[in-house]
Parts: sequence; structure tokens; C-alpha cells
Amino acid sequence: MISYAARRLALGVGQVLAVVTVVFLLVQALPGDAAVALAGDDPDPARIELIRAAMGLDQPPLRRFGDWLWGLLHLDFGVSLVSGRPVADFLATGLAPTALLAALTLVLLVPLSILVGVAAALREGSPLDRALTSVSVGLHSIPEFALAVVLIAVFGVGLGWVPPTAVGGLTPAVLVLPLLVLLARPICSISRLVRAGMIEALSSDYVRHARRLGIDVRRIRFAHALPNALAPAVQQVARTTDWLLGGVIVVEAVFVIPGLGTVLVDAVASRDLPVVQGLAVVFAVTTVAVNLLADLAAFRLAPRSR
Amino acid sequence: MKRLTGSGVLLIVVPLLVALFGPLLVPDDLTRGAPFMPEGPLGTDFVGRDVWHQVLLGGRTVVLVALLATVCAYVVGVPWGVLAATARPLDEVLMRPLDLLLAIPSLLVLILLATIAGPGIVALVGIVTLINFPDVARISRAAALEIAGRPAVEAMRMQGETWWRIAIGYIGRSMLRTLAADLGVRLTGALYLVASASFLGVGVPPDAADWAVMVDRNRVGLFLQPWAVVVPAVLIVALSIGLNLTFDRALRKETR
Repeated sequence: MISYAARRLALGVGQVLAVVTVVFLLVQALPGDAAVALAGDDPDPARIELIRAAMGLDQPPLRRFGDWLWGLLHLDFGVSLVSGRPVADFLATGLAPTALLAALTLVLLVPLSILVGVAAALREGSPLDRALTSVSVGLHSIPEFALAVVLIAVFGVGLGWVPPTAVGGLTPAVLVLPLLVLLARPICSISRLVRAGMIEALSSDYVRHARRLGIDVRRIRFAHALPNALAPAVQQVARTTDWLLGGVIVVEAVFVIPGLGTVLVDAVASRDLPVVQGLAVVFAVTTVAVNLLADLAAFRLAPRSR
Repeated sequence: MKRLTGSGVLLIVVPLLVALFGPLLVPDDLTRGAPFMPEGPLGTDFVGRDVWHQVLLGGRTVVLVALLATVCAYVVGVPWGVLAATARPLDEVLMRPLDLLLAIPSLLVLILLATIAGPGIVALVGIVTLINFPDVARISRAAALEIAGRPAVEAMRMQGETWWRIAIGYIGRSMLRTLAADLGVRLTGALYLVASASFLGVGVPPDAADWAVMVDRNRVGLFLQPWAVVVPAVLIVALSIGLNLTFDRALRKETR
């Protein structure tokens, strides 16, 4: 376990470093000069030079990359080109709503997927199983924004059951539709994996043997078969952070939730590069970290997979 | 279940017909009225254009970009994977960088690259290709590795066949089934990326006639004029669900 964890951790650190480098290079490739953008509508060459020096833009790229990396280690992401506020401020204000959305989604996602997957697996081939399978196939990679506005139009505007957007504040009723939209895609893919894993586990030799020993059926299903069925599903949970982060960006935009996704979309619209850069690093590091944790969890659940 | 297949095909056909032939039905002289008014079959949009005309015009970019990007992903990804599987020393060099690309959330890559590249269909196709081709390369590599281990390939090698003949003539042809099975996922994935990006205002002009852009721009008028939002959104949802159901069905028939 420890040697596997160490190797996996090294890979994770490598990925983070590579991602940070790529983000830096991409932003370097952007047309336009940050100092010119900051100098305003009537750029005075002397002023531009002054800003360039202040921002360190006159340094060689390698030096700037080093400075930027050093800043990241201290959670110093630089300063916004538009407002002059530190990027870390943007991250701090946007973090709470996004973290709330992501945490609630994950908390609901795991038990619901297991429930759906196991329910389908225990009645394989039944109308329930076929209905669940059709729905989960159909909803695979459906664009969140389209699903979201249809739900808003029906439940928010048409029936008036829930507020259509989060403009009035983040109350529990506001969160119902965003969570539904965020859950739709991952539940489908994970419950299908749980179903497949469960069906395979239930027909395996050790389950048959346990049945012959007369062990309680519920105990066989949930203490013996289920953990083995979960290992691939846990890894898929990690893969879905990719979708979840993408989904959060879209869902925040649709429901007007002031989270990191909204900050990113606004920063992209105003070409506020330091903010885009900082958010990209945060999102990428989160993805790498979640994947790392999931691989370790899957290893723990079913060590034979490695 | 048979009925479900029918509805799957129907769900694809309607949006596709609108997307491909819709632009032909739109008159050349488009008049503008007041925004969000109930004139015309579906009312007017945020700048007073006729929503029905915009719906007819707006499918073409979404569908074309998704299709083109999928084709490009295969054109780049399949040779990449086959090369990695057959020319062993290149394997690590070719596949390692892709792991990195897969480690960043795809919508984030899309947003970053689109900011750099600026709006335009070519850029959008390129970016969606870049996001999609690592998966294609991985799948191709796995399939090609399995096929390259077959006795038939060994026999060809011993007969002194060229790498080209083995890689393309035998391995490439044997991979077609695996790739066909992957097509549905790839296509809906591309559709998802293209539509989501357009919705976020990435890679398209802000007043483009595009279903996803329509959903975004007309959201402010949802209470006044819901059709301007709901109709394009439903078309996108229908296309996505229809593609999923149809490809899944075809796949299961194939494997049975």
C-alpha cells in the first residue's frame, strides 16, 4: 500500500507541475500585453514601461515562471488586471458557493448511484432495470445548460415550485435544480458501473461458495459482493470530477450563483488573465488531487486491481 | 424496447433536419421587431429577431462543428494510437503527454484555449479535436495492441510484409468494429463540448444564430417569452438523448 501510494503521489505531483507549466505557457501565448491593458485607454509609453517593471514583465520568461511558481507556493496568484485586487481574493469569495455545490453533489451522488445500481442489479432484466438503464443511457453527456433551462422553464417559471435563479440568495429551495442538473450525468455513469460490478460479483465463485455455506443473503450482497463491485465505481467518481468542475461552471452561469465558475466566465469575458490563470491552476490541482485520492481508495477496496 | 429505438431515431431526425435544412427555409430579408414580443410562431428574441427563423438557422454550427471535430479526432487519434502500439519505442513518447491532457477538466481546457485562439469555427473544431483525440488514441492503442499480438500479424511480419501493410491493411481494418462502438460516445461528447462552450460565450460571436447562444442570450426574457429559450434547449437535449439511445441500441444489436 505505502509503495503504491508513494508512486501514485509522485505521479500526482508530476501532473500538477506539468499542468502549472502548461497554464503558464498558454497564457504567455496570448496576444496583447498585460501592461498595455492596465495602462488604460490612453496609454503613455513611460507609464507602460513603469507598469511592466512593476509587474516584472521586463524579466526573462524563465525568471517570471520561477516567480510565479514561488508565488503559487505561498498562495499568491498575482493581481487582477481589471480591478487590481489580488486573485486570491476572487478565489476566496467564489470558493464557498462552489464548494457547497460540489460537496452536496458528491454527498448525494455516491449513495444514490449505489442505490440505483444495486436496485437494478438485484432485479436484472426486470422492467425496473430496463427503465433505469434506458434513462441512464439517454442522459449520458447531455449538455447541462440545456437540461437546466428546460427544468427552470418547467419548474421555476411554469409551475413556480422553486426559484428560477439564485439571484435572491442561496436558499435550500434554490439549490434543488442545480443539484439535479449536476447529478444527472454522473449518477447515470456510476450507477451503470455499480450495476455491472454487482452483477459480476453476484455470479462469482466466492458468492456462490458463501451461499452454499448458508450465509445470510443480505450479508453476502452488502458485505461481500458490494465492496468488490464498488472499486471501478470509485474510480469513475474521480473521473466525474472532470465533468463536475465543467458542470459547476455551466450550472453557476445558468442559475446565477456567484461561485468560482462565474468568476472564471467573467474573467474570460474581460480577458483578465491572472484570474483565469489562477482559477485554471486551482481547478486542475483539484482534479489531480481527487483522482489521486480515488485511486488510493480503489486500491484499498480491491487491492488485486493493481 | 423496440418502441424506444423508434423514439431514439425520431429524437435525432427532428433536430438534424432542422439543423441541416432549416437555413434553406429562412427568407433573405429578416425584419426586426421589438424584443421578446409574441409576434410570429415563436415570438421574438432579445434583439427582436424572429425566434422561429433563429431556430432554423441555429442548428447548423452546433451540428457541423460537433461532426467535424469528431471526424478530426479520429483522423488524428487512430494513427496516433496505432503508431504507439506498433512502433514500441515511440509508445511512451506518444502516450505520456496525453495523460497530462486528460488530467485537466475538458471544459477548462476548452475555455483557456478558446480565449487564446479567439472566436471562429475552425478554432472551435481544433480545440474540441484536441480534447477528444487523446481518448481515441488510447482506445486505438489498446485495440491495436491486442490485434498486433495475434498470430496472423506475427505471420505477416515473418513473411517480411512492410509496416504499412501490417499497420493499415490488417490492424487498421480489424480495429474498425471497436472504433464504430466508440463513435456514439465521441459524437455526444463533442456535441456536449461545442454546445456548452457556445453557451458560455466561448468561441462564437455573441449574437450568432446558434441554439446554445440563443439559450444564453434569451434567458433574461424567460418570463416574457419562454419559447426563445425552451425550443433551442429542447432541440439540443433531444439530439443528445437520441444519439445516445440510437448508438447504444445499435451497439447491443451488434454484440448480441
